[in-house]
Amino acid sequence: MRIPVRFELNGHAVEVEVAPDRTLLDLLRDTMGETGTKEGCREGECGACTVVVDGRAVNSCLFPAPEIDGTRVLTIEGLSCDHGRLSRVQQAFLDASGTQCGFCTPGMVMTAVAFLAENPAPMDTEIREALTGNLCRCTGYVQIVEAIQLAARRSRDPQA
Amino acid sequence: MRYSYHRPASLDEASDMAAALPNARFIQGGTDLMVRIGQGRERPGHLISLRRIGELTTIDANREIRIGAGATLSDTLAHPDIRRRLPALAQSLAALGSRQVRNMGTIGGNLCNASPAADTAPPLLVYDARVEIRNGRAIRCLPLAEFLLGPGKTALQAGEILVAIVVPDPPEGTGSAFIRRGRVTMDLAIASVAASVRLNGGASIAIRVAAGAVAPTPRRLTAAEAVATPTDDWSRAAIAAREQIEPITDLRASAEYRRHLTGILVRRALTMAAAASGQWSIDR
Repeated sequence: MRIPVRFELNGHAVEVEVAPDRTLLDLLRDTMGETGTKEGCREGECGACTVVVDGRAVNSCLFPAPEIDGTRVLTIEGLSCDHGRLSRVQQAFLDASGTQCGFCTPGMVMTAVAFLAENPAPMDTEIREALTGNLCRCTGYVQIVEAIQLAARRSRDPQA
Repeated sequence: MRYSYHRPASLDEASDMAAALPNARFIQGGTDLMVRIGQGRERPGHLISLRRIGELTTIDANREIRIGAGATLSDTLAHPDIRRRLPALAQSLAALGSRQVRNMGTIGGNLCNASPAADTAPPLLVYDARVEIRNGRAIRCLPLAEFLLGPGKTALQAGEILVAIVVPDPPEGTGSAFIRRGRVTMDLAIASVAASVRLNGGASIAIRVAAGAVAPTPRRLTAAEAVATPTDDWSRAAIAAREQIEPITDLRASAEYRRHLTGILVRRALTMAAAASGQWSIDR
């Protein structure tokens, strides 16, 4: 049994069939070939697989693929589609050295994108709270928090 | 293919499916069930998703507060009436998991998963919540304390669906608070305590205490309630609480530490609840 789903992926309408026991993470990586979204723990602990569904950050590893029907999905691939230019949050991660090995970065960026849409002028403590579900094993999070602050400042003042 | 997936549009349809399909499980947010399936600890033949059933996600705040079992933890936390009238519940939701988990997970799922450490359970016990259960076409209600039976075990019979959690409005002058301690934020609680206090000058009128992660189910600590008084800094309540729990030793903490911690959390939660009631100050 395969289940037809229709959804919007990074602004484009998608119509595919999914196996009932697959997750959104499987759908993105294996069916759509969009491998920017990473698989870490597959238990909803590490946040490497974070994508934004209908404006909210979710763990795609726990999201049943059939539930994606009728939703709007934003992944890391959807951020920089503007002729290869990085989005504000991505550029801030680069400029603030908010990345080391890079494996957690797509999830961190997606969490930050959803969070900043809700809270465009956050305090550091709020950023740290927002990142509870995203593990980075390289860094001490300081530069990641700085990157998100930088993105927030630039959204208010593009020269920052 | 490990299981097939069904998306009924109504409670009637969901009930009928559960009756007809062998080895079926209901799924809501999936933040617990999908993990257990992934680990091979659970092998359902069919998942019946309740996510398309709109009536499960509504939150009505009238004389009582009725929270649809399918309301996400995020939506419940964001609801202004819940923040204002049930602050201990809001505090437990803010402490639960990550944003990603709160965006998917539901309040009904947190209760149906029946973890001894379920964060929303102690405050809901303190608020005398009851649950509404759909059995075929009939509805039955239970006090939450009778719904939670043991680790992973609830009063739900095969095919029954938890549809709502109903919380009476706390009387004017009630203060409440929730505290949890875990190794790290994302981990399950080592111990958690919710308390509510209504005082009349320094004399207590109504006191409720409940704890999580220190017994087979989250439970009301009635012995602590019976002796709780602000005049001894809640000392007797803390001592009674330590005697009324049945903590275990596991990878998170020893039973001895959980017992010690529970006494401290009971005292702090009562102090915070009394302060929140506006009738008593912390540094009197």
